[in-house]
Amino acid sequence: MAESGTRRTRARSRLARVVVLRLASVLLILLALSFLTFTLLYLAPGDLVKNLLGNRPSSPAAIAAVRAQYHLDDPFLVRYLDWLFSALRGDLGVSIRMQQPVADVIASRLGVTLTLIAFSFVLALLAAIPLGILSAARSGSVVDRAASGLSLLGLSAPSFVLAILGITVLAIWLPVFPAYGAGGNGLDRLWHLFLPSAVLAAGIAAILMRITRASVLRELEGDAITFARARGLSERVVLSIALRSALIPIVTSAGLILTFIISGTIIVETVFALPGLGQLLQQSVLFKDLPVVQAITLLVAAMIGLITIVVDLSYLALDPRVRARDSAA
Amino acid sequence: MKVGSARVRGLRLGAAVAVVAALALAGCSGEEPADGGGAATEDVTLTDTGEEIDEVTVAFPGSLANLYIGQEAGILNYNLAATVQEGLVAQDANGEIVPALAESWETPDETTYVFTLRDDATFHNGDPVTAEDVVFSLQQAADPEGSPGTYWYMMNLGSVEVTGEREVTVTTNAPDATFLVNLSNAGALVVTQQAYWEEHDGAVGTSESLLLGTGPFKVVEFQPDSHVLLERADTWWGEAPKVRSIRVNFIPDASTRLAAARTGDIDIAFNVPLNQAKDWEQIDGMRVESMNDLSYVGLIFDQRVAPFDDINVRKAIAHSIDQDAIVERLLRGYGEPATAIVTPEGLSAAFDGDEARAKLAELPQYQYDLEAAKELIAGTDAEGLETELTYPNTGPQLGVAAQAIAESLSQIGLTVSVREVPIEEWLATIGDGEHGLGFMWYFSTTGDPAEVNGYLLGVENPNGFESDEANALITGGNAIADPVERAETILALEKLNKEQAVNAPIWWGKSVTAFSDSIGVKDYSPFTFTRAWGAHLFSAASE
Repeated sequence: MAESGTRRTRARSRLARVVVLRLASVLLILLALSFLTFTLLYLAPGDLVKNLLGNRPSSPAAIAAVRAQYHLDDPFLVRYLDWLFSALRGDLGVSIRMQQPVADVIASRLGVTLTLIAFSFVLALLAAIPLGILSAARSGSVVDRAASGLSLLGLSAPSFVLAILGITVLAIWLPVFPAYGAGGNGLDRLWHLFLPSAVLAAGIAAILMRITRASVLRELEGDAITFARARGLSERVVLSIALRSALIPIVTSAGLILTFIISGTIIVETVFALPGLGQLLQQSVLFKDLPVVQAITLLVAAMIGLITIVVDLSYLALDPRVRARDSAA
Repeated sequence: MKVGSARVRGLRLGAAVAVVAALALAGCSGEEPADGGGAATEDVTLTDTGEEIDEVTVAFPGSLANLYIGQEAGILNYNLAATVQEGLVAQDANGEIVPALAESWETPDETTYVFTLRDDATFHNGDPVTAEDVVFSLQQAADPEGSPGTYWYMMNLGSVEVTGEREVTVTTNAPDATFLVNLSNAGALVVTQQAYWEEHDGAVGTSESLLLGTGPFKVVEFQPDSHVLLERADTWWGEAPKVRSIRVNFIPDASTRLAAARTGDIDIAFNVPLNQAKDWEQIDGMRVESMNDLSYVGLIFDQRVAPFDDINVRKAIAHSIDQDAIVERLLRGYGEPATAIVTPEGLSAAFDGDEARAKLAELPQYQYDLEAAKELIAGTDAEGLETELTYPNTGPQLGVAAQAIAESLSQIGLTVSVREVPIEEWLATIGDGEHGLGFMWYFSTTGDPAEVNGYLLGVENPNGFESDEANALITGGNAIADPVERAETILALEKLNKEQAVNAPIWWGKSVTAFSDSIGVKDYSPFTFTRAWGAHLFSAASE
């Protein structure tokens, strides 16, 4: 029918507008963030010149030469705009510490960090969601209590403690995994990254499990489920109905949790000696290597922005009520 | 519904206890009571089996951002470059100058050096080393923009020219006995090929450009925060190394490094933390050796910050440092109370170990005497002073010493708050005009007697100490060729330091290195790891 056709095109153009607006807001956030990062690094303790010249005597001529080389005496705004205009042209600059283009420095570490994040996300999902559903389905039972205890451990144990525990148990006592390093490619990489990913996953799996449990539990106690049970549907079918409704909060938190993983990589990469973006960011901040700090901060912010947009868009796919509301409006 | 509550409670309790126990056990490793470590405690005799070793795995306690010492001049950078690149000269196990790329040299006058290059010197890419390459490398080493980490050593460079097919002539502005050692890889000069440098636009030592040198090993892979892979180069003029490849892994976390050693992954571990030495010793198949590492730790006083411009305040603080207790108890014997800034090894060209120690002990010393300190402090502006002492997180032993000193100072009325900071922040506090009290932690690479005290007392020193007498002693001493005569000016300089209480020396350091029992290194000395150490490794059978 022509009417439903126009409704669909209207819905699609509205969707497109929403996406464009969201992307624009992400860009605005990136701009504000770049200024904030620049200011904070500018104000932070530490002296780039001393970091380059080291614990040695320095001649005033050499200090002046280094300051000129890196434009350290230019006014604050000039330096920021200089960076901004280069970045807008696609030139992220050269890392002062590594003496290599920022793009290359980041590219060489992106693989390790992305694999780490993805692997720990998958591990967290695999551990948390089934456990959360099980806890909700058997609420109050031994399984439920044990799962709660485990999640408490995951939430409260600091990641470096878990890391050392993991290395001691699974690399020394039972030599199953390597104690450190990122390994080669493919399967070797995954084998090396299992422990770090598990450590990263522990805390967020705990959060995700509790949210899953709460969400499924609320659905199971709802009217629709009571009615389904009254109609004589089997427990398995009832559970699948509840799950579909419980999915939105779970997906939302999964998306937000992904952002926690990103910040957790700093400690995990340091303990396991992984050449990733986390360690790079930490060292660059300490060294005051501005081009690298800006690039990584913006990369992370962009990733988080995109994840949030994807999560929001997923509601359209998951929840028919949202779809209907959008097209009816 | 509710399962038998008593059983559930018991299960929960059991689970909790197991979890806590596991955490406690994991946290317990490394907590050993102090009991005076000191020198190598194992009586291991190693015999060289003469066999080839396929791969040696080395653990560094930190990462390198760049392999070129001109760009990043940390001690680990020097250690790595030492087995890959060479200077015109090198140092032997005792720190004496020996030929490297230059097979001989002459000094027609006090400010001129004429080097004859050896004819079998070859870069790792097969090209021969030309005089032009040497001149170019030296010019780059002296340029603050290209080599911010090492240009200072070349401040006295006058000119460098090619004067023959295999001849390079170097002149200095003023006569300088220290200049020759600065032309080694332990100073400022690591010779590389001009074409290679220009091909990479001066960005050498990165993960793309790697390093081009003439030494026994070449760099085949470098990933910052991960590793460096070295392979034996068949282009070296010296005796072929027994080791085919060396993999240097960067493991910044001390517990992870220890864990890696426990899994048998590590053959050599640099800079084992002093409080972990016992744990490393207990690893099956590994031994621990300690060695004077030419490092100096002491207090600096920024005289531009009140009340540290008052000599009585500085003297009082110097009297409040219990050097013996710090070295014996806090460093567990891995160190020596410093009677001066220069180490006994630094004077080795003039006096042997015991004689050097005796001479240095003759200098005026500030004994640990809190009564004398109180008397000196009375009436000064420092009474009731509150100040901050920072130390770098890469040196936890400085932290424990700082606590001890702060405790002593609190007894004479000074409140010192000790703060651990990242090493970059610590560097920035030196001479920042706010911190009057600070730590100086310096690893000498050349072992030259005036390397450290020249920095701490001479031009642009971090103490804000301006003294024509000190400058004259430094430049005058540097110009003297005869080691014994030069040593006299060094001692005079140290005496000036003591009389003026400019710096308060605390200890001369020892580094602890862990070795697998199947590996040995020839002529192990404080200078081993700023020489071509890869070529000195041998396959060992221990008894």
